[in-house]
Amino acid sequence: MGFRPMMSSLMRSKTGPILVALQIAVTLAIVINALFIISQRVEKMDRDTGMDIANVIVTDVRGFGQGFDVVDSIRNDIDLIKSIPGIVAATVSNHAPLSGSGSGTGLRTVADETITPVSTARYQWSEEGLDALGIELARGRNFYPQEVIYDTPDMDADVPSVLITQALADELFGEDVDALGKTVYWGSMEPSTVIGIIGHMQGSWVNWDKLNNVVIHPGKPAYTNNRYIIRTEPGMRDELIPIIEQKLGESNLRRVVKNVRPLEEMAARSYRSDRGMAIILSIVIALLIGLTALVIVGLASFHVTQRTKQIGTRRALGATRTHIIKEFLLENWLITTAGAVLGVILTVVVAYWMETTFQLPRLDWRYLPAGIGILWALSSLAVLEPARRAASVPPAVATRSI
Amino acid sequence: MFKYNVKLAFKSIQRNPIMTGLMVAAIAVGIGVSMTTLTVHYLMSGNPIPEKSSVLYAVTMDSWNPLLPFDDDRPERAPHQVTYSDAERLLEIGKGKRQTAMFESSLVIEPIGDDGQPFEATARVTDGDFFPMFDVPFIYGSGWDSATDKSAETVVVLTKALNERLFGGEDSTGRQLQMNGAQFQVIGVIDAWEPTPRFYDPINGAFQEVMDMFVPYSVTRTLELDSIGSDWGWKSESITTFEQWLNSESTWIQYFVELDSPRDRSEYVAHLDAYVEGQKQLGRFERPMNNNIYDVMEWMEYHEVVEEDARVLLGLSFLFLLVCVLSTIALLLTKFIGKKGDVSLRRALGASRKAIFNQQIVEVAVIGFAGGTAGLGLAWLGLQGIDYLYDTPSALIRLDWVMVSTAIGVSVLSGMIAGMYPAWRVCQIPPAAQLKTQ
Repeated sequence: MGFRPMMSSLMRSKTGPILVALQIAVTLAIVINALFIISQRVEKMDRDTGMDIANVIVTDVRGFGQGFDVVDSIRNDIDLIKSIPGIVAATVSNHAPLSGSGSGTGLRTVADETITPVSTARYQWSEEGLDALGIELARGRNFYPQEVIYDTPDMDADVPSVLITQALADELFGEDVDALGKTVYWGSMEPSTVIGIIGHMQGSWVNWDKLNNVVIHPGKPAYTNNRYIIRTEPGMRDELIPIIEQKLGESNLRRVVKNVRPLEEMAARSYRSDRGMAIILSIVIALLIGLTALVIVGLASFHVTQRTKQIGTRRALGATRTHIIKEFLLENWLITTAGAVLGVILTVVVAYWMETTFQLPRLDWRYLPAGIGILWALSSLAVLEPARRAASVPPAVATRSI
Repeated sequence: MFKYNVKLAFKSIQRNPIMTGLMVAAIAVGIGVSMTTLTVHYLMSGNPIPEKSSVLYAVTMDSWNPLLPFDDDRPERAPHQVTYSDAERLLEIGKGKRQTAMFESSLVIEPIGDDGQPFEATARVTDGDFFPMFDVPFIYGSGWDSATDKSAETVVVLTKALNERLFGGEDSTGRQLQMNGAQFQVIGVIDAWEPTPRFYDPINGAFQEVMDMFVPYSVTRTLELDSIGSDWGWKSESITTFEQWLNSESTWIQYFVELDSPRDRSEYVAHLDAYVEGQKQLGRFERPMNNNIYDVMEWMEYHEVVEEDARVLLGLSFLFLLVCVLSTIALLLTKFIGKKGDVSLRRALGASRKAIFNQQIVEVAVIGFAGGTAGLGLAWLGLQGIDYLYDTPSALIRLDWVMVSTAIGVSVLSGMIAGMYPAWRVCQIPPAAQLKTQ
């Protein structure tokens, strides 16, 4: 089936095929590693937030000047916001989840300073906090309104009851202990009772490996800077943003209203570099695959022209069109496979370099056959058209002089 | 002869436009991608203040928890910021040529006339030494002196952009601003100044624009300015007043010192040790003595200012360039081999090998130049794309002459590497071999 003539033409000009095989090898190394990084980033961005972030608005306000009453202002603002039709719930909060800015603390299960505390994000909000973010309480109860206190500026004041996430509960007490009703201790060794467990919610810093560790206490110290978290009816977010901005702005002139914006936008900002990396690498892969395919097409077309006479002769001696097409496909397949074998080695080297230099996770081996499969398909597709043209060389060409 | 070669090169390009187009595209894409990532890397790893980077130092002292290190992963490191009270006392002691404590805050600027809304502007709260230390350029007026630092006078230096917004860009020195309930006098306006990376504060972001204005560190206490930067604490302290906050063990102040020469480094650390020794007598600084100062580039390294992603992309994009060079070689080789007849005819008619080689190299150079130029355009596009994706401050993304000449250098070099072997192969074609069969 034409293996000999193909091999002899391959062997006659070795350098070209070797170069193409090398190119395929490097292409494979880049494509597989890039695909792997992309999948990591996409997975990271797709994690469940545990919140209804599509319908949440966040705004910062700041009072200034003499005689600005913070507690009054918080209560009036929340009442005002909730009087707007389409608002589901609203709370004051120290920070907004997923925003990249937050407060962190350490908790212990026993009042002993020498024990390493478990790190967690910390939120401070009202009894409407869970509803304002669409967070589901798995067990226990939410804060009572009377537990929510605004007027103590002391960071380390007594907090009788807290909510924690299941992830934090597991890390503190172990997976088979029910944390509900248990006591946790702050850095000050002040105790708090766990009154409710949140099944799942994400905290402040998307790059932190303890993103799901969250503790919430009721109320918030009364500072002049405040942040409101507001949930709207589904789909009403964008029309309510300007209304909230306007109403808050008009209601109190001793206060600056800053950045009324969707929580989704803040989360997108936190994931900006992951999204950027995924997009850049996708473009690189597209360019690379396009280039490699074009080069294969270009070289194959050129060879068809070069070998017109040889092909004509073979046709005249009885080779069918299918023979010729198969021959080109086989030649190409051999080069691609040689490249792929070398490429696997190179891919592992590059993956090793990234794993050791950058603490990236180890390459999932399943990407190797996937990448090779893509390259096989690609190079066969690329060579198909030139091969067809080769097959259409009429046998009579052999009899003509050039 | 050169002109003739160029003419031949264009003839050959015309004869095979698709192959040539592919080669130009290969080089262009390779240069475009690698120059984009190289530029980003170059800007991130650049020295923001080359003339002084070896005499400016960030100061760290280990005032952290006696039971646990500041950073579990790097227990040898002291906290990267200092406490307010330590900064205050270090400023009093002096010992450097210049020194400054600083943090980021924000103030509400009340409307100047009856119209207009109050708005919040960001401020770097710092000492007067900040401006001469970091070579900050002024358009109007100047910074403040150490007497102002001591007296906590409410003066302010504006950036060009804020001065534009408040005063339409005119010389505003002497004008008054009502901020946080206090009357501030404008004493200076700085010119456009965007050190990249923002070396004096990589903690709150190495690639952010400078704050809107500068106010004296000493007004922190009188106006109770809050930090909008990061603060790190370990000690459980009851904090109900601002004074308690200032005296707490929370670390939120960045401290820089300028020394006369790098030789004074160990002497300055000895001063720090002496200070900490004194504090230890008072029951603070319970960890082992661990005071360090870092010059600007060490400080950039410490905070891993060059992002990991940028380094991964740089590595992958140079592999990409390798693919492009390999394709160009393969294409050139194929193309030159197609010229066998032409070359052997020329050789038979008396062209030397050298002449043939030169002819091929000129052709390669034309292709390389075209690819390189197109590649620069692609790199520019790529940088716009990165600017869009990452929403970077304007100062970060730019193609300067260093990058343009690097791009040209790289494309010529890769063109040469790609062209050498095929050109040499062509020269090996014997004069008459190809003529025989015809």
